[in-house]
Amino acid sequence: MADGPDPASWTRAFAANTLPAPVLSRLRQAGEGRLPWTSTMMPAELLAARTHGITPIATVSGTCWYMFGRSWTEGHAEGWRVAIGRMVLEARSAGANAIVDVKLRTVYPSQPRSGLAASGMAASMDFTVVGTAVRVEGLSLSPDPIVATVSTLEFVRLLEAGIVPVGVATGAKYEWLTPSRMAILTGNYGTTMNTAYTELGAFWENIRTNAIAALRAEASTMGNGVLAHTHFGEILKQEPANDRSPPMYLGRWIIVGTVVDTPRNAKIPHDIVAVVDMRDDASPLRRSGDRRHTAYTLETEQDGAI
Amino acid sequence: MGETEKSIPQHAIDRLKGLRGQGHPGGIFTSDFSVNEFLLVRKAGFEPVGLCVGSCIYHLGIQYANWSANQEMTTLSGAMYEARERAMARMKEEARDMGADGIVGVRLTVKRLEWDENIMEFMAIGTGIVHAGGHQGFKGVDGAPFTSDLSGQDFWTLLQAGYRPLELVMGSCVYHVAHQGFFQSLGQIGRNVEMTNFSQALYDAREIAMERMQNEAMTAGAEGVVGMELHEGSHNWKPHIIEFFAVGTAVKPITEERDASAIPDPTLVLSVNT
Repeated sequence: MADGPDPASWTRAFAANTLPAPVLSRLRQAGEGRLPWTSTMMPAELLAARTHGITPIATVSGTCWYMFGRSWTEGHAEGWRVAIGRMVLEARSAGANAIVDVKLRTVYPSQPRSGLAASGMAASMDFTVVGTAVRVEGLSLSPDPIVATVSTLEFVRLLEAGIVPVGVATGAKYEWLTPSRMAILTGNYGTTMNTAYTELGAFWENIRTNAIAALRAEASTMGNGVLAHTHFGEILKQEPANDRSPPMYLGRWIIVGTVVDTPRNAKIPHDIVAVVDMRDDASPLRRSGDRRHTAYTLETEQDGAI
Repeated sequence: MGETEKSIPQHAIDRLKGLRGQGHPGGIFTSDFSVNEFLLVRKAGFEPVGLCVGSCIYHLGIQYANWSANQEMTTLSGAMYEARERAMARMKEEARDMGADGIVGVRLTVKRLEWDENIMEFMAIGTGIVHAGGHQGFKGVDGAPFTSDLSGQDFWTLLQAGYRPLELVMGSCVYHVAHQGFFQSLGQIGRNVEMTNFSQALYDAREIAMERMQNEAMTAGAEGVVGMELHEGSHNWKPHIIEFFAVGTAVKPITEERDASAIPDPTLVLSVNT
């Protein structure tokens, strides 16, 4: 049993964009089959993997504890990017073609941020990604292993359909709004009537549009589609410093998605049969994609399946 | 290698080898589909184009209810409807700009903003899809994109059943349930009785919401409404104020109604795994 790397070697490795020697050696040995493989796969997934020539090598991960000096929102895009980069580094060292079942996780130190007070201060947060590095039989070493946030079962189903999940893209944007004098005068803030707040609404939509544009821009370096599974948005009001100045609003959107690469109109090779399950209790047919990521757990998050 | 080559297309193998494609002329799509949804939408002959979102930040007007009367709170009914309608309209506009034939998987959410209990954020979000073969017959009312809250899986099944989605239809009714008078309550002490004015109020409110939804379906020229749901919510209003919200997907037969015998019967299975 080898000793773990000493803590200082991580710092040196991060700076040089590499891994400490003991880690590197463990991953290389796993890649060469001299260590037992480790995997998050369940037996059913192992079966699907084997019939498609996919073998697990090692569990790989990447972590980045990030401090938000300038912007909480945009720090998220950066934090995930760094963590994923480090995980890919591990996978490459293990000689993997892909990392499957990648999960996004996070730890909020002490107080979860809420309201402006928390977001305004120099908060910090951990970004962690964990997945299983796999090799595809008959393929040579990949310089650039793909990052798939789906389980092995879904991974092979996607591959068969000509859809390759290749990576993770993030779009994160925020903006401040100081309401215009005109909008305040015309009762767009504070009224007793039914009113659509158009100025605030347009501001809000604009942020989201920008976040989606950033998501698309990052995704375009990897593939041609994004299945966005995590949408997090909130709008906060900051009370004015004195009676004469108007309040300010902070809006932000964070969208995280799985990037796929697929030719347009690729055919789905399988026939689909409609079935009715005869079980009375909870049916395995009814289970759809579970929630996999625990990165944004506030109630304002909307979570898709991938 | 043999096994791999048989089941995985060449394009996917190249990508796994680390080879990048030549770029995609069609640009990038975004969607919140799950893997299965994506596969079934493709199987149905459609491609996702982009995430369509519309939101509306809305200030709810103030209306005082008569303490002892069953009545619709028309100001609130109007607000809840108009705000959702605006969010949906914005979403549809995004879909039209992308050239989508329709939007599936539409979800409507209502969120109270922290700083003011009368302000709510309404959001409509779904995935714009387009028929891969360019078929124009799937558009919604008046050539606008269709909208539906059905998932990708349900969309495939609906088409199999010979129907196509037309429009997400809804009806809302915010209702004030009358308080009981003092003497009436006094007369009921120690007896099991139905509180008929409460029952009647709930019936009334539900009827109004459902009727409004049905009217929308009729205007859209639908044959029926599938997946209709009835939500009851109070959105932190005063007790005795309830919103009934009816929502569903209005559908229409594809070209003409498919003969029932031509639709494959579902296979019955008994899954033995847990």
